Formats: sequence, structure tokens, C-alpha cells
Amino acid sequence: MSTPASSLGRPRRWDAAFSDDMTDADVVRLLTLAPFRDMNPESFPGSAPLREVLRNDTRLRRFKKGEIIVREGDYGNSAFMVVAGAGQVVIAPGLPPSAVGRRESKRRGLFRSIAQLWTNPDEPEVLPKSARQGLATTKGKGGKDEIHIILQDIPAVLNKHRTASLEAGAFFGEIAALSRIPRTATIYARDEGTELLEVRWQGLRDLMKYDPKLRAYIDRIYRERALSTALSEIPFMKHLPEEAQQKVAAATQFETYGDYEWSGKFKDMAKSGAPAAKEQVVAAEEDYPNSVVIVRTGFARVTQRYGDGHRTLNYLGAGQVYGFEEIAHNWRNPDDPVTLQYTLRVMGYTHILVIPAAVIEEFVLPSMPERDLPPRRAKAEGTRSPFAPPAAVPIAKRPDAADGSPIGPALMEFLTQNRLFNGTEAMLINLDRCTRCDDCVRACAATHDNNPRFLRHGPIHENLMVAQACMHCTDPVCMIGCPTGAIHRDSFGGQVVVNPSTCIGCTACANNCPYGNIRMVETRDDDGEILVAGDAKPILKATKCDLCVDQKGGPACVRACPHDALQRLNLNTLDELADWLRR
Amino acid sequence: MRMIHRFAFRRACLWAALGLASVGTLVAFGRLNATRPHLVYLTGWFLLGLMLYLTAFNARKKLPFLPLIPARIWLQLHLYVGLFTGLVFLLHLRWQWPQGWFEATLALMFGGVTLSGVFGWWLSRTLPRRLTTAGGEVPYERIPVIRRSLQLQAEKLVLGGILPANASTLADFYVARLADFFSRPANFQAHLVGSQRPLNQLLGQIAEIDRFINASEKKTVAELNELVRQKDMLDFHRAVQLTMKGWLFVHIPLTYGLLVFSVAHVVIIYSFSGGAR
Repeated sequence: MSTPASSLGRPRRWDAAFSDDMTDADVVRLLTLAPFRDMNPESFPGSAPLREVLRNDTRLRRFKKGEIIVREGDYGNSAFMVVAGAGQVVIAPGLPPSAVGRRESKRRGLFRSIAQLWTNPDEPEVLPKSARQGLATTKGKGGKDEIHIILQDIPAVLNKHRTASLEAGAFFGEIAALSRIPRTATIYARDEGTELLEVRWQGLRDLMKYDPKLRAYIDRIYRERALSTALSEIPFMKHLPEEAQQKVAAATQFETYGDYEWSGKFKDMAKSGAPAAKEQVVAAEEDYPNSVVIVRTGFARVTQRYGDGHRTLNYLGAGQVYGFEEIAHNWRNPDDPVTLQYTLRVMGYTHILVIPAAVIEEFVLPSMPERDLPPRRAKAEGTRSPFAPPAAVPIAKRPDAADGSPIGPALMEFLTQNRLFNGTEAMLINLDRCTRCDDCVRACAATHDNNPRFLRHGPIHENLMVAQACMHCTDPVCMIGCPTGAIHRDSFGGQVVVNPSTCIGCTACANNCPYGNIRMVETRDDDGEILVAGDAKPILKATKCDLCVDQKGGPACVRACPHDALQRLNLNTLDELADWLRR
Repeated sequence: MRMIHRFAFRRACLWAALGLASVGTLVAFGRLNATRPHLVYLTGWFLLGLMLYLTAFNARKKLPFLPLIPARIWLQLHLYVGLFTGLVFLLHLRWQWPQGWFEATLALMFGGVTLSGVFGWWLSRTLPRRLTTAGGEVPYERIPVIRRSLQLQAEKLVLGGILPANASTLADFYVARLADFFSRPANFQAHLVGSQRPLNQLLGQIAEIDRFINASEKKTVAELNELVRQKDMLDFHRAVQLTMKGWLFVHIPLTYGLLVFSVAHVVIIYSFSGGAR
């Protein structure tokens, strides 16, 4: 039985500021600049006063000319404001990886890997001294998360790539910070000594929450920039000339559905067993197809009426299109129009783009070669009998879900009802092959100081178990409430990881995780004694699967399974799952 | 490359490789046997090398943090190389049963390791499906906790029914027939062969007392039936999971024993070979 160790101060939100280098003078200076000078400090609550937000959630950074500020594809939890100088954003085409100094994050060396045999502590959840509160690493000047890469041959970049300037006062990086998606463009410092204010996500959230003007501004630029990026990725836009693309963009609407913090509602729905019909409908089956819907971020469910309920046929992720086939059919067969064949419902926090049918008919369809046009559709079949065979291949169905796919309606329902499609590294176990030997659990423990970071337990569909291991979600809602940014995306691989140095054990992430894949643990010192705070309560830390980011060879669980029963799969699309099931 | 991920294709490739290696070895042995009188030394060292390789699988499991060959590939090689080792063993013996208790023990141990391995292979391909088909998923370590919980529920149910029914019929039946069933794992062998007979017998006995109980007790009996079914399912999971883990407690100790005997065998052979090699 362990006894409590010496007491420590209870960790708080701003124990580890974004940067220790922020001074009173810096804060005062910021308060003289727009938009902060126009903010009303009274509108900020006592728990998060404007000054403290600026002091603790922001940092000032200076960049040399050509130095990269953010890289396309990196995950970031902060936005930037140009204070002095200017940034230059590379719009298209993106810079090659070598030009932006992309390299893989550091892993343990061979000796340190083997040393785990004897260095792993005997006691569970031992928190090394360096990771204990008060010794938290700071990320100020020269901090390890800063990138110091100078872009070479800037004139060539300007010649070959379309770029735009971001002058003083402009914000950028808000898409990655707000959408929890990778940076959409590379931005470098245009001028020598460009000064930027970096605002970490938690601070940006508070500033937007308590200052309506900033919220409106960020919302506007977010929509504009996300729209241009999203439209450029849609396949049927490729054939469009520049002028037509601009017209389509001008007519496109940007809509947001669902709650930013959808986890709580989902848990309530799951508990009550609410059917798909409870989800917000974007477009309904048998309505006239008057627009094309493109999922920008988040997920949407494609359903079809089936008896007295709604059957899930597919789910759509980022970049996938709904309603295009019907509109194309009606354009080619004006005398024999069809209605929408399926219903589209949003799940979670979803951004969609809506392009009116008239615009599609005027600009997009005439520009498409005949071979790229979708096939003609049969008329809607009306209300389906529950005894009728499965519906025809849905419009949104991907090749992997075509007839003969191992992913049947029941499995589809299982994936959507549990929102497992959110996972990019979901741990799936084939129970027909799993001998319950727990080699996977032991391997996980051996690579995490003798603490397994997942449970071989979880929702089951037939012979398929989705184990309770962090799925490294596309939309990691666990990150929403973290007051310190301890739970964050790895800037290279995008894995969702917890920094024990800055985790204050508030349980926000564990409560937010819709899948129960984050566990709070009581930490111990090197002697195995439980660490307690000044209030005599144990110090908790969030723990979860980190995909063995610091280990050679990737996830130990997969490599340890002798029976080929366990795999980490991206469930955003069905390709990997279908391949795995077909074995 | 994707094709290799298909189990059927992989299996076909590995069987084909095993067949080719076996035929090649038999042909080579046939040719060399006539010309090399001391071929037994060569087959012996080859056999020891194969055995060391097979044992290394256990060491690989202890080093999950190293980027070694994934365990799934290693196991496949382990299985087929294990079968091939059986052939080399027979060639080493020249298809004859060894003389002397030491060599006979060594041969028996080899046979034990091989047969337990093949048996474990068969178990690992058949028992997981039975667990999946039965439904439910219970971590082995949690079984005693769940069993205790079911026992407490059953006892509470039966005790709670005495006063409302003003009779101890059910409690007496519980003590006589069910107390033992709930207090420990039951019907291991029946579960292993997939027999439902003990469960049906127990449910039949419960149904028998239906004639002697009143209306309020009948409700308790219905709930008790459900607990009996849950306990039976728990016993099934325990029996199957224990078997899937248990065979390794034969295979691995025998393997280490075999290695010790093999090393001793090498020392003895070279000590008494008198320069025959």
C-alpha cells in the first residue's frame, strides 16, 4: 500500500505559461495595438482576465527574412497575428517537403530502446521529476516546438508559387487552431525581424468568446480562407477555368452544423440509444436537388428510409460530395428528373460547402468531359419495405463499399452509431483470431514505463472489436477543453499526444473523449509513493495511447500480435477496413 | 504485395515453401547419406540451429520495443520452420528410435514440444471462434471478480426471497445445488468440448422445483435462471481462455528442457565420439 509522497502545489491552468518571456511591458504594448486596444477588459471574466490571457496564452516571436513561420501539413494549436513586418503565404502550388525542412520526429535510439528492459519502473504511473509540476518545460525563445527553417531562394519561390502578403494586424493560422486540422499553407517571414504574436488555442478561444469583434473578424477570414482551400480540392472543379472557379466560389455558401463540443451530446444520445433521425438534416431524401453539398471538416451520415426508420448507407468525410449525381442526372435528363435519393445528416461539428444547383449547371457540368460525368440514375423508389433487398449503390458510396464489400449495413451502422469513423488509428481486433494472449497489452506496457495505455476491451460487432485505445481522431474533441494545451497534435505525424509536464489533471480531455479512451491516473514518485497536491488530493495525469511516437518501429501493439488479429486502421474512409476484412 | 496479406495465399505460399524445403532436404540427405558417414553431425548442428531459432521467438516477444520482424510474421515462420524441424529431427535419427534412456528422453521431449506446438496451433485457430460465437468478452483477470459478483447477486436474490415467500424452499435448493456452482469454476471439461449438458441439467433441476414454490418465488427463480446462464457463460470463457493460455505452460518448459538436454547431448556426443567426426 503506497503512502502519499510530499505534497506539491495543485497544478493550475497558467502554471506553465505559453512563454516565460512575456513581460508586463509586452502586455502593456499589446494593449496599445489593435485589436486588443479596442477590447473591453470588463467583458472578460475574473478567471480569465484579458491581461492574463495575453500574458499566459500568447508569446511574441521574431522571425528572420525567409524564416518559415508555419508549414503546410503541420498540426498546430495556435494562431498568429502580425505585429510588425509581414508574412508571405504560399498559396499554390505548395512547397516541396524538402524546402520546408520536413523531417521525422526523434525516436529513441537502439540503446535507449533496449534499456527499457531495466529502466522501466516497477511501480505504476511513476512520473519522472522532470515532468512534475513546477518543472514544466516552457516554450519560449528557442523552445523545442519552434521551427527555425530559412526558406532558400525566395525569388524562385515567388516566381513558381502563387503567394500573398499578410501585413501588420492580420491574423493567420486560425484554420488549424480552430478546426483541429493540419495547417493549410506554408507561411514565411517576408521582412527581416518580422514580429508575430502567437496565440495558443486556449487563449484564442477566450479572446473570441469575450470579444465579439474579434470573433466576427476571425469567423470571416476563417470562412474566406477555408473556402478557397476547400474548393480547390473538389475533383469536379479541376476542369473549370479560373474565371468560372471564382464565380462558383462567389456563389458557394459556408455552413456550420452541430456543436463545437459535440462529445457530451453524443454521449447522451448513445446512452439513450437515439436513432439517426435525431441528427440534424442537411438535405432530405425525395427533396428536389437544389444544391451540391461538400463536407469540409467533420462527418455526415448518408441514410435512406427503411421501413419506419433510417438505414445508414455510408458516411462522408472531408472533401466528399453529396447531391452531385442527381443534379448531373437532371441536367442531362430535364424531362425525367430525379429527387434526392438519400438523406444527409451531420454528426458532430461539421463544416459544409453548399454550391447551388444553378451554378453547377451553368459552370461545372458543361466543363466536364462526358466520361467524368456520373451515371444516370433511376427514379427514387419511394418508401422501402424493411424486407426489401439493400438499396442500390448510393451516390456517395465509395468504391470500397460497392456490392460484395465486406462492410455490410450492420457494420456500417455500428461504425456510424459509435462514431468510430472519427478514428485515424483505431485499434481493431479480429476476435476470431485473437487468442486473448494479451501480448499486445504487455508490449504496450513495456514501451510505456510498464503502464499499458489501452484496454483490450470495447464495442464489439460480430467478430470485430474496437479496443479502447486512442483513435487519434480526425476531430479530436478531447483537445477542446484542455486549459494548458497539454493534449496536442504532434507537429509532424499529427498524433494526439499528452505532455505530462503541462497536464494539470483537470480531466477535461478524459470527459470530452466520446470513446472513453483517455484515463486519468494517480501519479507516483520514483519510490512508488503517490504524489499529492497541497490539498492532500492525488495529482492526476491524463494517459492514453501515443502510437509509440518515440519508439522505433511504430505501435508496439501491432508488432506484438502474433496472430495477425490486431491492426490500427484509418476509419475515415472504408478502404483500409475493407482490405483488412477481406484477408 | 497486397496479395500476401490474404491468409489463404499466405498459407499456400508457406506450405509450398515447406514442401520444397522438405523435398530438397530429403533429396540432399539421400545423396549425402551414401557418401558421408558422419552426416549425423551435420544434421545435428542443423537441428540445434533450427531449435535455437524457434526458441528465439520467445525472446522476440520480450523485446516489443525493438523494430524486429513483427510477431505475426515471426509466428508464421515459427510454425512452418517448426514442422520442417520435425523432418530434420527424423533425418537426424535416421528414422530409428534412439537407444539409451538419455536419447530416448531427448526424443520424447522433442516429440512433446512438437506435438504441443501443433496442438497449440490448432487451439489458436479454433478456440477464438468459439469464444466469439458464444458472445460476450471477458478479460481473463476479471473472471474471479465477475464470478464473485454473480455469487453475491444469487445469494442476495435467494435470501431476499425467503421472507416474502415465507418459505425456504428456494434457499434450501440453492444450498444443495447452486452454492457450489456459484462459488467456483465449474464444468471445465464440458465447456471444452462444447457440451451444454451440465447447464441443461442444472436448469432442469431448477425447473423441477417449480412445482413446490409459490408465485413470488417463481419470479426469483426466473432471475436465478438468468444468473445461472451468466455464470455458465463465464465458466465457458474461463475454460476456453485457460486452455488457450495453458498449453504454453507445457510447450515452453518442455522447450527449455529440450534445449538443456540437447546441449548435454552435444557435450556427451563429442566427449565420446573418439575422433569419429
